[in-house]
Amino acid sequence: MKNNILRYSLVLGLITIISASILAYSYDLTKDRIKEAIRQDFLAGLKSVLPDFDNQPDSDAIITDNATVYLAKNGGAVVGYAVEAVSMKGYGGEISVIVGAKPDATIYRITVVRHTETPGLGDKIKAAAFTSLFSGGSLTGKYAVKRDGGDIDSFSGATISPRAVCEAVNNANKLLYEVICETK
Amino acid sequence: MKLSSFTDCIIKNNAIFKQMLGLCPTLAVTTTLINGLGMGFATTFVLVCSNTVVSSVKRFIPAKVRIPAYIVIIASFVTVVDLFMNAYTHELHKVLGLFIPLIVVNCIVLGRAESFASKNGVLDSLLDGLGNGLGFTLALCVLASVREVLGSGSLLGFSITGGVVPPVILFVLPPGAFIALGFLMAGYNWLRRRTEV
Repeated sequence: MKNNILRYSLVLGLITIISASILAYSYDLTKDRIKEAIRQDFLAGLKSVLPDFDNQPDSDAIITDNATVYLAKNGGAVVGYAVEAVSMKGYGGEISVIVGAKPDATIYRITVVRHTETPGLGDKIKAAAFTSLFSGGSLTGKYAVKRDGGDIDSFSGATISPRAVCEAVNNANKLLYEVICETK
Repeated sequence: MKLSSFTDCIIKNNAIFKQMLGLCPTLAVTTTLINGLGMGFATTFVLVCSNTVVSSVKRFIPAKVRIPAYIVIIASFVTVVDLFMNAYTHELHKVLGLFIPLIVVNCIVLGRAESFASKNGVLDSLLDGLGNGLGFTLALCVLASVREVLGSGSLLGFSITGGVVPPVILFVLPPGAFIALGFLMAGYNWLRRRTEV
């Protein structure tokens, strides 16, 4: 009986050791590519919310207490600011947006980088028809959907997703405004 | 292994339409054809690998600890798939990411390890894994095509209806998954009954 338990543990132990080695090797093989893929993803997001730039915004960043603000420069002059903000109030959970602003404290563009909203309904927050509603607005304005007394048109069938986007944008605007005021 | 038992895995004993195994990922990911394909191939890869390994080490695994041993083997392959998909097919991984770890608990994988690979030779187990995986992929693709065409009016991302016919959003939502699967299963049984008589 005792012998059996020892044998079982040895067999299981051996299997887990072999598995762990394979996993460690695979992790090592893929980690750089995964890191780069995530970075490219993020850079693509930044690119879509900022005016044309010629620097690497993720290395030209201002790190404040609350957030990392990415700077877009063109010919050495700052042409835009971007920050990522998250709202937990999406229908499917977290919604993450990047807001890009111009130095005159207006929103340039926003993009939704991560969300788990319902396909066909809430995921319309990704569409340009929705994100463009924020373009050109002031960083000091408060954004809300029409049902909450604001002036962002939510689309039919979904109010929760656009409401969460508004919240994330408001959070981002606050961070951006602070940094723009400080750097001026 | 006879060719007929290989094709049986795909059609006659189809994991979803006949055995009704692994329904959770089936219902969850089949909103678009590309998701169905991705999930199908990921599961097929895990099935082939786990069946092969389980069958080749079956002599060393005591019966009493076989389930934890199988689970560790399956989970390792799933994690490897997860890592490589994240690195090389990042876009697809962003969509399927949540469901890949769930392959571990897909009953098809453990089911084949327990009921086939632990009793048969390596080559037969490999073919059994491949057959069941392809059957699973086929079922996912059929269901995903129906849901994408009806629910989004497109296939593989290309518009089919040209926006003339409004899409039935219900079909990309969870209830649509159940409804579509129910009709497909009825069709499958109807066809099977006709061909058998």
